[in-house]
Amino acid sequence: MKLAINLDLGLMRRLRQFSRRWARKRHGIDADPLILSTRRIYIVPTGMGFAFALMLTAMFVGAMNYGNNLALGLTFLLGSLALVAMHYCHRNLSGIVIRSASSDPVFAGNEATFRIAVENTAQLARHELLVANDQGMSNPQPIPANGRAVFDIQLPAPQRGMLTLDHFEIVTRHPFGLFRAWSHVHMNLTCVVYPKPAPRGLTPPPVETDTGGAQDSVNGDEEFAGLRPFHPGDSPRRIAWKAYAREQGLQVKLYAGTAVTSHIFDWNALTGLGTEARLSQLCRWIEDAHAEGRAFALKLPGLEIPANVGLGHRQRCLTALALFES
Amino acid sequence: MSAAVLDQHLQQMTPIGQRLVWVIAGLVLAVAPHLGHIAPWTMLIAAIAAAFRMTAEIKRWPLPSRTICTTIAFASLLGVLAGYRTLNGVDAGTSLLIVMAGMKLLETRTVRDLTVVVFLCYFALFAAFLYNQNMLLLPYMLLTAGLLTMTLMRIHQTEAMPVREAAMTTAKMLLQALPLAVLLFLFFPRVPGQFWAVPARERALSGLNEEMTPGDVSELSLSSAVAFRVKFEGEAPPPRERYWRGPVMHQFDGRTWRYAGTSYTPQEVASSGSTYRYRISLEPQRRNWIFALDMVTNWDQQRAYRAEDFQLHARQSQISVLTSFDLESAPTYVTTSELRKELRRLDTYIPRNRNTRTIELARQMRESAGSDEAFIQSVLTKFGSEEFYYTLQPPALDANAVDDFLFNTRRGFCEHFASAFTVMARSVGIPARIVTGYQGGEFNPMGGYFTVRQSDAHAWTEVWLEGQGWQRIDPTAAIAPERIERGLDAAISSEESVPGRALRQNALYSKLRMAWDAANTFWNDQIVQFGESQQNWLLKLFNIKNPRWEYLGAGLIITFAGFFAILSAYLTWKFKPRARDPVAHVYEQLCRKLAKLGVPRLPYEGPNDYVTRAARARPELAAQLEEVQTVYVGLRYGPTPLPTQLSRLKFLVNQLEA
Repeated sequence: MKLAINLDLGLMRRLRQFSRRWARKRHGIDADPLILSTRRIYIVPTGMGFAFALMLTAMFVGAMNYGNNLALGLTFLLGSLALVAMHYCHRNLSGIVIRSASSDPVFAGNEATFRIAVENTAQLARHELLVANDQGMSNPQPIPANGRAVFDIQLPAPQRGMLTLDHFEIVTRHPFGLFRAWSHVHMNLTCVVYPKPAPRGLTPPPVETDTGGAQDSVNGDEEFAGLRPFHPGDSPRRIAWKAYAREQGLQVKLYAGTAVTSHIFDWNALTGLGTEARLSQLCRWIEDAHAEGRAFALKLPGLEIPANVGLGHRQRCLTALALFES
Repeated sequence: MSAAVLDQHLQQMTPIGQRLVWVIAGLVLAVAPHLGHIAPWTMLIAAIAAAFRMTAEIKRWPLPSRTICTTIAFASLLGVLAGYRTLNGVDAGTSLLIVMAGMKLLETRTVRDLTVVVFLCYFALFAAFLYNQNMLLLPYMLLTAGLLTMTLMRIHQTEAMPVREAAMTTAKMLLQALPLAVLLFLFFPRVPGQFWAVPARERALSGLNEEMTPGDVSELSLSSAVAFRVKFEGEAPPPRERYWRGPVMHQFDGRTWRYAGTSYTPQEVASSGSTYRYRISLEPQRRNWIFALDMVTNWDQQRAYRAEDFQLHARQSQISVLTSFDLESAPTYVTTSELRKELRRLDTYIPRNRNTRTIELARQMRESAGSDEAFIQSVLTKFGSEEFYYTLQPPALDANAVDDFLFNTRRGFCEHFASAFTVMARSVGIPARIVTGYQGGEFNPMGGYFTVRQSDAHAWTEVWLEGQGWQRIDPTAAIAPERIERGLDAAISSEESVPGRALRQNALYSKLRMAWDAANTFWNDQIVQFGESQQNWLLKLFNIKNPRWEYLGAGLIITFAGFFAILSAYLTWKFKPRARDPVAHVYEQLCRKLAKLGVPRLPYEGPNDYVTRAARARPELAAQLEEVQTVYVGLRYGPTPLPTQLSRLKFLVNQLEA
């Protein structure tokens, strides 16, 4: 659902930036988890709040002018209600527990999603909370009493490397949108950004025979050659369940006959390309090999990752690319 | 349509559409109190806009462009301007408000637009109070304000709260706001008088007219609407002294008497006998007439003046809202000022070519009477002894109305008799004039005050006698003394039908009517007219004799600070985290203390390791810490933790400080 959230005046934005810097100086880098105390929650009227105040002023002048007690009573009631709402807005944030949750790696050029978990330890529900920073904001959601909610905040990830979300705000306009209460959180949330895969075209280096530990899951009809201990990332189909049943631990079957093959993706082989282009190309090859289930090894200057398959291996390789020389 | 079907329809709508239904419902309720007094076309425009907007929502039509909306809004503005000739004023302002709310509905695309409509609804509600401060209106207004507030909250929610829960939340917030609102209402100083003049409203209000034509049907005498209420301090005057003075009519054209204003020349009055102090609360009227008990001798010069005709006028141009005055009157009085020449000419004038038989009769009676006083007595005797009838349904009269009445129809009510008497007095050169006003009033034992209704309207005569000044002569008293002593219902013969008389004579009805009126009066006096005097009384309770602005400032600060503190404490309590584990709490205390003693807990350390390490680091505490460890482990992992163990642990940790 897309509801337009009203934009505040430019002045408000500048004030908010000022308060952010001030909060950073005052509170430093926040602990994780962070329990929001009342002294770090700020609150100001929204544009609509000012409009409401203007309306109340007009009502007040009118009621006094006509000496109309009931009209004056209504004005006072609405004014008091706004003040009560201000307290509710402020209390809606105080005491909540903010934790960083995992963020999945993305490829450069996509949007990174940071997850922020918010816990409500109170016996009352919290309403309309959202997490925002200068570039993005999450959808508002309520948190039930003793409940928990996860807020996603999307940030563009234009470059490979470690994308950090060093600042975000937790915001609420509950109950009437007359006030905006928020707190600045300076928690270093990180997200790994893989290089953008190069377009397909450059053929991957030929498959090399490797009698080592890696297997090719595509070729399944070779001769049995022995067992080796299980490593995370091994295909479950290769697990020697019989050996497991004999309480010999998790073992993986090795096959001979047709050689077990793997690619070696070597940085040095990609001559004539810049650093980023090489990383992109390596990324492409890794992605393709992974998609087809082929084993691969990665060689970067100063880093060698032996051939393997599986998600863990892919992640390790891509992370190495993402953080290369940084 | 059943609720389920309605709900299904709502489910199918867009989020804005679902919210729109509630906003429109709020608008309808907020505008409804204005139905009577606002140009119908403005309501129609708003209604069409709302209907169109809803249809557009259901049929997924595109909304009209900004240009169209602006054009319609501008046209409506001109329409209001043309209709009311002003934009300054409650009527014009309210019309404009309603039109604008309708126009805003047409372009509601976002939550912000909906919020603006809700704000306009609040304002429409506010404006309704400017028209009507009726007791019955208040619950309606509070409920509507509650609905608007609930809607305001729900339109700001991504997933709107269920109505029940939202209603409870809103009600709670309104209740929490109430104490502050009441305190502000009670103590915020009221500034008397308007500081921004707006044109008076034209309203159809019943009340005394500026002219009187005996023979015309009097609607007033059938109206049971309240004209004013009077509360006496101490004794109330007897019925025959309860003449409430209104406009005095001098001009006569043979048929119709007219009030043509009066001059502001102070007149001297010598009163004797008892005086009465009272408070009169006037219902809204078209004029500024204060119907004081004849003759008013003491009044607030700042707020009212007594004109040459002895009628009391408020200094404002119109009594447009319920207004009270504290007055003092003396029923026994003598006017001592001289009669001005112009006034004498005016008050002895009658058209010579009209009512000639009456003029002739009066001259004959004056000759045989010998003196003015004797003449007046003989005319009254004639009315009382001959066949004249008091009735509310008199026959129509011809152009020579007085002749027709005296010699043919002989039926009429106060106006006829007062008119005939005045014409006869003027025929023989006695200055005479018609005084209109009210006579009598019904005592309400529940409220301890008199209610004077439009049906108590009355007309009598005043004659000028040399050396005695103006004298009240009431010819009606001569023909129907019951009218003066016991009111209209008693004066009309039982054969004649008087609307509502049977009902009024029903004991239960009359009791209910009095109770209702007493409740209304209390409402009017204490709430609607709440002001300086009540505030001073309240302040006296707090021993503040001379309220000053400094007190107000200090009071406001204390009020707000107190309100904030209480609300804050309440919300802190409501939002407190679930109850903590007491053992964990003591353990945390222990960790803090040990950290202060130079052995902070390392992140990976469990209680056992930590306390052992602490004991090694601070050998002097080893014995104590060892017991702490034993008790803690017992509490945490033992088969049946005992309360004594917990208190022991608390004691041990408390001891540690030394």
